[in-house]
Amino acid sequence: MHTAHKKTLLLIGILLSVSMLSSLPLFAISAEEIIRKLEENQVHETARSEGKMIINDRFGEKVTTFKSWAEGEEKTLIEFTSRQERGQKILRTDDEIYLYFPDAAEVIRLQGAALRDSVLGSDMSYEDMTGGKGLLDSYRATLLGTEKIDGQECYKIELKAKGRGVPYPREILWVDSEIFVTRRVHMFSLSEKLLKEMRIEEYRSLKGKTFPVRFIIEDKMKRNSSTEFVIESIEIGVDIPSSRFSLEELTW
Amino acid sequence: MKFLVNLAFKNLFRHKRRTMITSIAIAVGLALFILIDSMLVGIEEDSTRNLVLYETGSARIMDAQFWEEHENLPLKHSIDNPQPILEDLEAAGIDAAPRTVFRGELIMQKDPYPESGSIQAQITAIDPQRDPQVYLIDESISAGRFLKEDRLEAVVGAWLAEDIGAQVGYPLTIVTRTKEGFFQTIDLEIVGLANTPNPVVNRTGIFIPIKTADYYLQMDGSVTQIDTSFPYQADIKKQTSKIRSVALEDRPDLTIVDWKILGKDFVALAAAKSAGSKVILFLVFIIAAVGISNTMLMSVYERIREIGMLRALGMRRHEIRLAFLIEAGGIGLIGASVGVLIGVLLNIPLVNNGIDYSALMRDADMGYRITGIMRGLWSTATILTAFFTGVVLSVLMAFIPTRKALKLQITDALRYQ
Amino acid sequence: MKLRKIAWRNIRRNTRRSILSMSAVAIAAMAFVFLFSMIEGMKQDVAYNLQTFVTGEVRIRHSEFEKYKHLNPLHLGVDNYTALAERLESMEAVRTISPRIKFPTAIYKEGSTYRAQGQGVDFEREAEYQGLEEYVVKGRMPRNGQNEVLVATGLAKEMNLDIGDNFTLLTQTRGRGMNAITFKITGLSHYQFDGLNNSFFQAPLDRVQYFLRMDNSVSEILIKLKENYSAEEFAAGLNSSLTDWGRPQLEARMWKDISQTYSFVVMADAIYFIIALMFFLLGSTVIINTMMMTIFERRKEIGTINAMGMTGPEIVRLFFLEAFFIAAIGSFVGVLAGIGITYPTSIYGLNFSAAMEGVDMEVSQILRPVLNFKSTLFVFLYSTFIASVASFIPSRKSAKIKPVEALRAI
Repeated sequence: MHTAHKKTLLLIGILLSVSMLSSLPLFAISAEEIIRKLEENQVHETARSEGKMIINDRFGEKVTTFKSWAEGEEKTLIEFTSRQERGQKILRTDDEIYLYFPDAAEVIRLQGAALRDSVLGSDMSYEDMTGGKGLLDSYRATLLGTEKIDGQECYKIELKAKGRGVPYPREILWVDSEIFVTRRVHMFSLSEKLLKEMRIEEYRSLKGKTFPVRFIIEDKMKRNSSTEFVIESIEIGVDIPSSRFSLEELTW
Repeated sequence: MKFLVNLAFKNLFRHKRRTMITSIAIAVGLALFILIDSMLVGIEEDSTRNLVLYETGSARIMDAQFWEEHENLPLKHSIDNPQPILEDLEAAGIDAAPRTVFRGELIMQKDPYPESGSIQAQITAIDPQRDPQVYLIDESISAGRFLKEDRLEAVVGAWLAEDIGAQVGYPLTIVTRTKEGFFQTIDLEIVGLANTPNPVVNRTGIFIPIKTADYYLQMDGSVTQIDTSFPYQADIKKQTSKIRSVALEDRPDLTIVDWKILGKDFVALAAAKSAGSKVILFLVFIIAAVGISNTMLMSVYERIREIGMLRALGMRRHEIRLAFLIEAGGIGLIGASVGVLIGVLLNIPLVNNGIDYSALMRDADMGYRITGIMRGLWSTATILTAFFTGVVLSVLMAFIPTRKALKLQITDALRYQ
Repeated sequence: MKLRKIAWRNIRRNTRRSILSMSAVAIAAMAFVFLFSMIEGMKQDVAYNLQTFVTGEVRIRHSEFEKYKHLNPLHLGVDNYTALAERLESMEAVRTISPRIKFPTAIYKEGSTYRAQGQGVDFEREAEYQGLEEYVVKGRMPRNGQNEVLVATGLAKEMNLDIGDNFTLLTQTRGRGMNAITFKITGLSHYQFDGLNNSFFQAPLDRVQYFLRMDNSVSEILIKLKENYSAEEFAAGLNSSLTDWGRPQLEARMWKDISQTYSFVVMADAIYFIIALMFFLLGSTVIINTMMMTIFERRKEIGTINAMGMTGPEIVRLFFLEAFFIAAIGSFVGVLAGIGITYPTSIYGLNFSAAMEGVDMEVSQILRPVLNFKSTLFVFLYSTFIASVASFIPSRKSAKIKPVEALRAI
């Protein structure tokens, strides 16, 4: 399972959508093409960023800060820097998720039902971070039309799951028609109930590319439950030794 | 011989009062024995019954893989095409009901609920038609009504409802994952609350119609389990192998697990109780036996002079002994019949209504409300044991003083005080 | 009193019959001295287990904790517990206290996870509060300030762990984040009730606070009181003190209000009370029958004394006294026999471990009946009373015998 929003989630601002400067005629484009363009925007190089995650739930607000490194689509390492979680790391390689805790003698590999657990109490699960296939492998896309989101003209695209293996059977994506980045995503349950909403509130341009730097995920089934991601600094094209994404290096 | 029987019966009816007193002793002893046994076994079986009739059924058919991972309730390892199995069981006269058990998050929204919130829960999808063959949930509805087929409705355990502040008519949303792994939401209305004698069901039970679950969970007709019911006195091994041969011959993927394994905590506790009850029952038996013996001994000792007289009249020893033993047997027969009758009659309300002893438990000592009803149980074995014990014991106890009297000199016997 | 003498003589005149009648009452009394002692023992046992391992006599928690307990709300704790602990320990009624953090956790071992129930405790305090040394069956108690853990034998067996092995726990922290930490197993513990032996471990409070990011908080403080202090009153008083101390968010509750297990024992008590009643009834019917038989047998005698001028009520009293003596002696002997079997078992205890294995209730595997003066006296009076009241029925009959019958009966 691999959708544009999840990549953004997953890399927490590191897997970025590249702005397409060439503007294409609005009407001569199919849903598949839009998705392809969206996916082409994904950076297949290295990125390093720092940011924070603000989690709101019924018990109040909690802020977690992190640094992260990413290489391509499949490799990500997140290290938490806030006091509560200092030194904890999450390593994702392909479909595997490993957790490192400074006080634990073993690296913990997540599998099975544990993947459905939330990451640090946020509205995102570990499962949301895994997967490597392209969007069009898992979903059938239909262009529903155009709509304005935050004053921006967007393509409204419906994604329907082709088969099992993805958690959401149906999603709706609003893709900016100028810069081909996701503006908003709705995730539905099988009986068409809105479960989660992701809103990308801010993008930043860097080296001619556009990155989402602030976005919010809301659990629509629960009141007062949301997670906000803010990317405070980002560098791309930096040198990251590939051993950084190995289990051995996890414990340094 | 005919003469002896005649003599014995004449004696029985001649001394009506003595016969009455003696047989009352036997009857009361046996009746109480039957009642106490019914009560003790009833208490002992109570937890078993609560387990079997509300939680586990007698035996459960599952996919072998499902049973292995049952803590995770993996929907993907469910029983495909359960219909032929159900039909086979039905044809063999075995009560069975399909169920699908899955995990989900219950979502409550403020208004009508006192507070918004969510809790993790285990939801049981049941067939409103078939489920009552195995379980008694339908008879335990304390408010509202039981489920109807394929509607979007739920019956919730009474304590759980109290915890989350739910009432009949409230909406309830379940967020879960389908068999295919998709997120799913089910919007239900609470139509009934279940207050069963089983605290686990009251505290955690959520029931929805199985057709609803089938549709919403993409089960495609499959179910996670088929629960069967057979009498709990029945031999579990025999019953499960019967089920196996009747319905599971061509389904090697399925396994059958009985309630003793499904509820092993309960069973262990029941075993501890059972040891205690056996001691109590033994003591009851001893007291009843003492009562019977005492009366029997007295009624024969009283007649030693009569024995002397009969011997003086020329009857032979073994004839006298036989006449007395037949008489004792007659008394035993009367007493035992009356005792069994009284025991059985008194046991009817004990089994059907039980004794409500909750008033005996002082409120000050109780942090929780527990329904204190003690129910009896039928046991043919106990009734038969009681009957034969009554007769045999009477004869046996008449034997001792008769023998003694027969050993005495006729003159001594005639003067015996 | 002349009647008493006659009654005595009648009892002695037919020893065998009297002894048999007595024995029925005696067996009932004996059984119930023992059974009530068992229940008393069980009550005390459950009370001790609950007070020591589960609820304390009085427990202080955040008042919201209960409401969210299924969410493991560690943030709803007792903050700055050291200050509160000092205050509590200086209170007159308090014998000893135990600050604890209870947390559900997964234990990670080579790719598999096992569920377990963890508890952070101050081992110096627990030596007194739990008498913990006694339960360490192998190795030693962990030390405060060290990453060491005391694991229950059942859990160690299930996970195939032993002294010196690593024990990596993974759980939710106070801030709803995740954390894992590795402790070293220094000891194995075995408790008297099985609920704690299967998935339980204890680790130093300070390390658990660090690991769960609890700062100076604990999830609860258990309190044991000195003798003669009522838990109910103390809890009520403590609740107003907590408000005075500026901690209105905390709540003190006494143990009987918290746990269900004690209610079950009270329930068993009620059930045995009913069974006792039936027992004594049965024992009494033996006396009734014997008396009826006796009266039937002695019609001649009764008629004679009646003719000699003894009044009806006197005759009733005579037979009643006879029955009363039988009942009193029977229950006295029964109570003595009951004490006789209870006393040795109360020293050695009865082993129910096979039956109680895997039962998640705070009932010990080895139960020691406790002789209770009150319940023993109760059994004696109760059985004497029921038996003599029962004998009143046939006694009354004796008055109805007319002098002429004396002449008719052979």
